[in-house]
Amino acid sequence: MEVKTERMIAYSLAAILLVVGVICYAAFAKKAPEQPIRIMLKNTGGNVLFDHKEHMSESGYGIECIDCHHDLENEGDKPEACGECHIDDGEDAPTRPDAFHKQCQTCHEEGGGPVNCAECHAM
Amino acid sequence: MANQKLFVSSHAPYWHNRSSLSAKSYNIMLAALPAVIMGIFQYGPPALGVVALSVSTAMIWELIMNYVTKRQVSIGDGNAAVIGLLLAMLLPATTPWWTVVIGTFLAVVVGKQIYGGIGCNPLNPTLVSIAIIMLSWKGLLDFDEALVNYDLGFYMVYPLAALKHLGTSVVSNYSVGELLMGQYPGAIGSTFGLGLIIGGIYLILRGMIRWEISISFLAGVFLTAFLFNISDSEKYAGPLFHLLTGYTLIGAFFLATEDSSSPVNFIPMLIYGACAGFLTVLIRNIGAFVDGTVFAILMMNVANPLLDKIRPKSLGKGIKHA
Repeated sequence: MEVKTERMIAYSLAAILLVVGVICYAAFAKKAPEQPIRIMLKNTGGNVLFDHKEHMSESGYGIECIDCHHDLENEGDKPEACGECHIDDGEDAPTRPDAFHKQCQTCHEEGGGPVNCAECHAM
Repeated sequence: MANQKLFVSSHAPYWHNRSSLSAKSYNIMLAALPAVIMGIFQYGPPALGVVALSVSTAMIWELIMNYVTKRQVSIGDGNAAVIGLLLAMLLPATTPWWTVVIGTFLAVVVGKQIYGGIGCNPLNPTLVSIAIIMLSWKGLLDFDEALVNYDLGFYMVYPLAALKHLGTSVVSNYSVGELLMGQYPGAIGSTFGLGLIIGGIYLILRGMIRWEISISFLAGVFLTAFLFNISDSEKYAGPLFHLLTGYTLIGAFFLATEDSSSPVNFIPMLIYGACAGFLTVLIRNIGAFVDGTVFAILMMNVANPLLDKIRPKSLGKGIKHA
C-alpha cells in the first residue's frame, strides 16, 4: 500500500471514530436504572458491593422497599437521601455506618444472612 | 559443512514481499476484533464509545507529536491505532471520556513518542498508560464499581476481585465455558477468552507475534498457579482460573508480544514470557493488586535489555564500540 493511501485511510479512520466516540458518549452514556442493580457502598472498613436487585426481587430475598426505605409513603415514591430528614444538628441523628449496620445486621441475623464483618465488607 | 548455518543472501535486485508496518498493525487489530465485538455486544454503545474515542485520540496524539517533533506523519503505520485499541480493551465500558483522552496521551506520548517513536519505546506504551491510570485513579479500574449498573444475566462480580476478597469458594461460580465465552464482568476486550485465543493463534500463524513469548507466558501462569494451588488449594485458585481470567490472555497474545519491549532471541523470549507469567500469578496471589499482568509484563519489559544480552546477540543490538 502506498504511504499516501495509508495516511488517507488513517486520517479517515481517526475522523470517523472520533465522531462515533463523541456521539456514543454524548447520546448513549450508560445511565443509572430507575431501581439500582448493585450499589458499591464505599467506606474505610472495606467496600460493600450491595446487590440491590437480589434483595428486592421475588426470585431473590423479596424484601419490600418500605422495609429499608422507611420514608416511602406511597407506592412508586422515590426514596430520599437520609440527610433530607436526619439533619446533622448534633442531636439524635444516627451516623451513616450506624444506620446501615442496624439496617443490615438486624435483617441478616433474623434471616440468616452473613453476619461476619468481612462477609459484607469484602471489596 | 561448517558453513551450513551461515546466512546466505542473493544479489540484487530484490523483490519486496509487500509486508509493512501498516499490514502488521491492521492484522493485530483484526485479531483483536472478536474480543472487541463481544465487549461491544455485551456492554453496548458505551463500550463502542470507549473503543472509538481511544483509537481516534491515540491517532490524534501521534499526529500532534509528529508536528511538534517535526517528523514525518506516522499515523499511517497504524501503530497508534493499535495502542488505542489495546488500551480500550483493558478499560471498563463506563470509563469517562477524559480518562480515555488522558490514557491515550500517556500511551502514545509518554509511553512511545518521547523515546523517539515506534521501535524505540523500552516499555509497552499501552501498559505504561494503564499502569498510571491504575495507580492514579484506583476506582476507575475497579470493574465491580464501574459496572454496577449492568445486569448481563451472569454472576456479576469480577473473578479476580472475588478471588482476592472472598477466597477460593467463589471459583465454582465461574465455569470454564463461561470464562471462555466472556460470561463474567471485566474490561471491554479482555473477557472473551475464546476470541482472544483465536486472535492470538491467527497472529502466531501469520508470523505477527512470537509464539515463544505467548506460550511461555501462559506456561508461566499455569505452572505458578498450579504450584500455589497444590501447596494450598483452599487459599489459591487453580491454574485454569488464572489462565482464563483478568488480563492473562490479552497479555499473552497482545501485550507481552509488543516488538520493541520484548526480546528477540529464543531463550530470552522463553525467560521473558515465563517470568512475566510467574510474576503475574505472584502479584495476584500474594501481592496487593487484584491482577498482576500489567506490572508483571512491565517489569519484564525493564529486564528486556538484560535478557537480550544472552547470546547469541541479535543483529544490531549490543554492539560494542559502535
